[in-house]
Amino acid sequence: MRLLTLLSLTLLGFGSAPTLAAAKKTPEERFQHYHNKALSSAPLKLADASYRELTSAPRDYSVAVLLTAMDSRYGCQLCREFQPEWELLARSWTGGDKKGESRTVFGTLDFGDGRDIFMSLGLQTAPVLFLFPPTIGPHAVASPEPIRYDFTSGSQAAELVHSWLARHLPDRPHPPVKRPINWMRWISSLVILSGGLTASYAAWPYVLPVIQNRTVWAAVTLVCILLFTSGHMYNHIRNVPYVAGDGKGGISYFAGGFQNQYGLETQIVATMYGVLALCGINLAIKVPRMTDPRTQSVALFAWSGVLFVVYSLLLSIFRGKNQGYPYSLPPFM
Amino acid sequence: MSLGFCFQSSFSANPILLFAGFESIIHEFDPWFNFRATKYLVANGFYNFWDWFDDRTWHPLGRVTGGTLYPGLMVTSGVIYHALRALTIPVDIRNVCVLLAPGFSGLTAIAAYLLTNEMTPSPSAGLLAALFMGIAPGYISRSVAGSYDNEAIAIFLLVFTFYLWIKALKQGSMLWGALCALFYGYMVASWGGYAFITCLLPLHAFVLVCMGRYSTRLYVAYTTWYALGTLASMQIPFVGFLPVKTSEHMPALGIFGFLQLLAFLDYVRSAIPSRQFQTFLWLFAGAAFGLGLLGLVIATSAGFIAPWSGRFYSLFDTGYAKIHIPIIASVSEHQPTAWPAFFFDLNMLIWLFPVGVYLCFQQLADEHVFIVVYALFGSYFAGVMVRLMLTLTPVVCIAAAIAVSALLDTYLSVKSPKPEENQAVEGAEGKKAAKSGLKATNKPVVGVYTTWGKGMIVSALAVYLLLFVLHCTWVTSNAYSSPSVVLASRLPDGSQHIIDDYREAYQWLRQNTREDAKIMSWWDYGYQIGGMADRPTLVDNNTWNNTHIATVGKAMSSSEEVSYPIMRQHEVDYVLVVFGGLLGYSGDDINKFLWMVRIAEGIWPEEVSERAFFTPRGEYRVDGEATETMKNSLMYKMSYYNYNNLFPAGQAVDRMRGARLPEVGPTLSTLEEAFTSENWIIRIYKVKDLDNLGRDHSSAAAFERGHKKKKVTKKRGPRVLRVD
Amino acid sequence: MRSLFSLFLFLFAAVVSAISASGNRLLVILEDVAEKTNYSKFLGDLESRGFQISFEVPKSESLALFHLGERSYDHIILFPTKAKGLGPNLTPNILVDFMNAQGNILVALTSDLPTPTSLVSLLAELDIQLPADRTGLVVDHFHYDALSSPDMHDVLLLPPPSATTRPDVKDFFGAGAGRDDDIIAFARGVGAVLGSSELLTPVLRAPRTAYSYNPKEQSEVVDDLFAAGEQLALVSAFQARNSARFTLVGSAEMLQDKWFDAEVSKVGEKKAVKTFNREFAKRVSGWTFNEIGVLRVNWIEHHLDEAGATNESNPKIYRIKNDVKYTISLSEYSWTTWNPFTLPGDDALQLEFSMLSPFHRLPLTLDAAHSSDSASAYSVSFRLPDQHGIFNFLVNYKRPFLSNVEEKNTVSVRHMAHNEWPRSFVISGAWPWIAGLGVTVAGWLAFCALWMYSAPVGGKRESKKTQ
Repeated sequence: MRLLTLLSLTLLGFGSAPTLAAAKKTPEERFQHYHNKALSSAPLKLADASYRELTSAPRDYSVAVLLTAMDSRYGCQLCREFQPEWELLARSWTGGDKKGESRTVFGTLDFGDGRDIFMSLGLQTAPVLFLFPPTIGPHAVASPEPIRYDFTSGSQAAELVHSWLARHLPDRPHPPVKRPINWMRWISSLVILSGGLTASYAAWPYVLPVIQNRTVWAAVTLVCILLFTSGHMYNHIRNVPYVAGDGKGGISYFAGGFQNQYGLETQIVATMYGVLALCGINLAIKVPRMTDPRTQSVALFAWSGVLFVVYSLLLSIFRGKNQGYPYSLPPFM
Repeated sequence: MSLGFCFQSSFSANPILLFAGFESIIHEFDPWFNFRATKYLVANGFYNFWDWFDDRTWHPLGRVTGGTLYPGLMVTSGVIYHALRALTIPVDIRNVCVLLAPGFSGLTAIAAYLLTNEMTPSPSAGLLAALFMGIAPGYISRSVAGSYDNEAIAIFLLVFTFYLWIKALKQGSMLWGALCALFYGYMVASWGGYAFITCLLPLHAFVLVCMGRYSTRLYVAYTTWYALGTLASMQIPFVGFLPVKTSEHMPALGIFGFLQLLAFLDYVRSAIPSRQFQTFLWLFAGAAFGLGLLGLVIATSAGFIAPWSGRFYSLFDTGYAKIHIPIIASVSEHQPTAWPAFFFDLNMLIWLFPVGVYLCFQQLADEHVFIVVYALFGSYFAGVMVRLMLTLTPVVCIAAAIAVSALLDTYLSVKSPKPEENQAVEGAEGKKAAKSGLKATNKPVVGVYTTWGKGMIVSALAVYLLLFVLHCTWVTSNAYSSPSVVLASRLPDGSQHIIDDYREAYQWLRQNTREDAKIMSWWDYGYQIGGMADRPTLVDNNTWNNTHIATVGKAMSSSEEVSYPIMRQHEVDYVLVVFGGLLGYSGDDINKFLWMVRIAEGIWPEEVSERAFFTPRGEYRVDGEATETMKNSLMYKMSYYNYNNLFPAGQAVDRMRGARLPEVGPTLSTLEEAFTSENWIIRIYKVKDLDNLGRDHSSAAAFERGHKKKKVTKKRGPRVLRVD
Repeated sequence: MRSLFSLFLFLFAAVVSAISASGNRLLVILEDVAEKTNYSKFLGDLESRGFQISFEVPKSESLALFHLGERSYDHIILFPTKAKGLGPNLTPNILVDFMNAQGNILVALTSDLPTPTSLVSLLAELDIQLPADRTGLVVDHFHYDALSSPDMHDVLLLPPPSATTRPDVKDFFGAGAGRDDDIIAFARGVGAVLGSSELLTPVLRAPRTAYSYNPKEQSEVVDDLFAAGEQLALVSAFQARNSARFTLVGSAEMLQDKWFDAEVSKVGEKKAVKTFNREFAKRVSGWTFNEIGVLRVNWIEHHLDEAGATNESNPKIYRIKNDVKYTISLSEYSWTTWNPFTLPGDDALQLEFSMLSPFHRLPLTLDAAHSSDSASAYSVSFRLPDQHGIFNFLVNYKRPFLSNVEEKNTVSVRHMAHNEWPRSFVISGAWPWIAGLGVTVAGWLAFCALWMYSAPVGGKRESKKTQ
């Protein structure tokens, strides 16, 4: 039986020299070896050979390996975002389980170190998180195949991955994720806060008129209202593109369909609303306060003309969004 | 008199548009439940309604309906019904329900008129606001006849509560404050959106305090409203102790405490006139406010105060719902609003709205601050959630009315000023007014000199207003007055074709199934099945139990072998699916399917995986390339079962998704087709009983089809011996 | 009241047709109608028990099990036939439909003729396997009849089936055969292997030393053994979920007249004894055709079991934590009469009160007050769980050889109404709060009184204000 195990290990190891040497170790020894290593630096930095050795069957421990591509050449944004979370998880798990009761080893395999592994697994994307369950021992599972974590919904917090791991490793201790207290951040934010307080105290006489200025508040309010009513929150929630090509090499400013919009589109619409509102404000407030009849007539004519044209344009844009809308104004019929 | 005209116009505009197309019918989904509850109320009396245990929904859990609904709407129509009966007017409760919304839209117009009149001295503004309120599509969507929804009366209550609040604030009157609390209580009884008032009034008070406008008027109005209003709101069983326990009610409580403190300080200040002492006191007030806030945070984290409910929280952290509560994110009404929707619902009011808000800055009395605050928050919320367009509409109407009335008042006055007089006045008055707020209003109003200018502006405004009326009419008749259970389409020759599959199917259920046959469907159709087919359902639009919905989602998204035990356990008799493939109807279940998967995955991440429904290339497909999980899912099978037979061999096409379906259609063994509507929109399947001979369903179905059981002569492995 | 009325109705019906609990139209399928003389005693017994027997051959044109969707017969006996199939009127699907319509079937096989294919596939659906090539013969070199088959050893002598290992199963087939020399002769029969379906029960098993072989192909040497020993079921019973019964008798010959009267002798015993076949055939056919082992639920009643309440029968709705009483009345049919049903051995009749899963599972006890000569009532009192919902009273009693009892009565359990809680002044913990309420009211009144009577001193303040 022992012989068989050795044979299979050798076969798995593809005959490479370090693996052969390691293959003589029992799973128990392998785990101790790597666990001790991990205690000093979790997660383990793996390479081709150590990856093969660690994940070879039979094993009475579980291995969680993150296959990643940290080099900036590959431009893997998600890898770099997830890496600190992963390290945090591995550190706090290994740190919370010094005796190795959960029998779990955390490792990271970078594409630069383990090109062959990536090839043999046929991986096209990174990062990929594999959990190799034990194949022998009390928690053995039927299939030696690793379980793959789903990165579909973007970068993940360490806690989410932790709960995923905990779900797949039942009846074993799950050391919790301990986020270290970020002293630097606390100190810097305290300093900034006190600095800000001092500055505002010093600048108070200059700031106060601005704060108490009604025109400033009115402007801020109107800008906010224009932003909200032109669908800015939609852009924010749906992450719509700013502009998109029209398929003919040009740029289409307006998205087709009633329920779609682009970032630029909402800005155009907000501007038009703003112009229309400005016309309205001027006609209602400014124009009747003009004392010179001639200036007043010109302003009146100009503002109402702009209002008319822009409104007509707005209607025509809306007609483009909503096919079958029957109303329009000249000149944009 | 003109107000009466407004009332009439807004009342009569709506039902006429409705009845032009369809008969008197309840719309949408929620109204069906409200209608059913009202019938129960009228039939069984108030106390039975209060203690109503509904055993025909959420089978087999049932729903403590009396304690989990906002009873305002039903009680209102019940009262109207009994009042009319007492006046010996024989009226059907259905007609009361159908016509309640237009009736209340008339009251809303009056409330808008009153509220606007508080804002501006111009008499035309109120009338314009009432007119806008009556026809703005954003509100008409909930005020057409048949839209028997909580919002139908809630918007009136919202506007009227605001009016009473402004009145109480202006006069510092306890009477108005108490009236405000009374209507606030009515609002709480009617709609979950009451939280909008609960947050807006303290916010207004807080802004006023920050502006240094604390006054005894504010104190009296606010404390009266808060004390009485909170007591009133706690009388509703569904609300209960929430006003003192949850975060969304905490601002109101905090401001209440803060105002007490301010009142105390104000008293002390008036007693001890010392400048240093005052500074100290204000610091003290600030510190107390900060401490209170800190205490709130601690109490929340310690669990004494429940954190924000998911629906409320998702308004601020917009990504929250999608990750944590898919059931909220899945509702189409909870999607963010794109700009065409704003323009569609408000048309030209959308750009008159900022003008009106700007005009409010001109005087900026307490009530104008209210409009500004309301406008800001209303537009934020409306941008985040489509359905909150409803709370924005009143303030838009009011602000736009202020703007239009300012324009009309200026340009409609016959009197023209004389240039010489004003030139002289300018120098003197210009400096005097420089202190007051807006830069634009520093100069005095002169008036418009030219008559042609007046004429041009007035005629342009008239054109815009006419266009607005046309727009509203068009929107109402096209988008909002067609009940969603009846679809209208145009035939190639232009004539209207009514697609009535929903009612056909519900009628079939009503006439062909046992009275207690349990229908499983996605929750969207729960209220309609309960209301129109009168059959018990597993889940409905009152999404109070996420796990139960996830169970249905799991049954729909799993294979037959997994689904069947679930359906047996829940005693399901029939399964109803909506399929739009033949007609190209987009609101069908295959399009909603991913939400079912997501919601089920939230509870059973090991058994249901959204990823398995996507091809390796990340596409959501239904044709031959679809994933095995997709093809084996109950929903897919029920949707496309026998669909091939409609087409020549190998040419079956799903017109909704433009997909060519595989040549061999899916087979079903645990369900049998019971009913398919005319246009295949509704398909109903009967759940088979356990096989009489103890076989599993797939082999029983194979036997039915004439396949002989394979002989098990070839033995593999050890023979299974019988032990007993 | 209604249940009582229906009880009488049932009793009346029982008196009128005192043969089978489910009709007396019996169809017998034979290779040739003339063959019925072989079975004259068996059929005569049936006729004397009140069955109206019709005879048909399988390929007959006029043969139809259904007429306008209704069963034309209540029971069928299929004796061995020569043809490979049974014709278009007796396809396995039709036979399955017949069982789904609660018709009972008794099938007799023989090793002389290969079993018709349609029967083989019907048996396969019931999870019963026959030997390969539809032919088999059960032999036993230790328990054969020394008189009739000294060489072939194909007439097996078996003791009547005793109560099986399970104490909760009633013994219908061997009971009363107290004498040791009651022997069943199983002549030239086919043994079947039963699958693990819980609807199947062997009635008569082969002895440990028996085995089955194919006399045509395996006459020289038996290399691939189909089955042996107790795995071979000679007579087996199947009861579908709707209590339709199906019996497979491996040897048609054992129902023939010659074996009813024959005398047999065991190996090594000189004394020849009369067979038990006639009685056994009566019991097997009686069980198959619903003459014994039929359970009937006469009525079910549940009511509120609380003092002061109206306690009407079978309400649709209860409240949480109500005390309720549930009673079920059961009768068992035995040849001619309905008798009270008594539970066999240490078996228990259980009531489940369930929503999604059982909240209570309680044994029902005999309730003498509601029992009668023909029915026994079982009842239990319990308190409803503290959970509202739509619950079922469920009695699910399924035992071998007894027809299935699955009775589900749905009731709603509602929550406490607003006026069913104890009032605040009853709860001692509320007294401080009530006292606080009183103090506040009294203090407010006192303050008002004080305020009213302490008028301002006069001109001083007034003059201040005017300044």
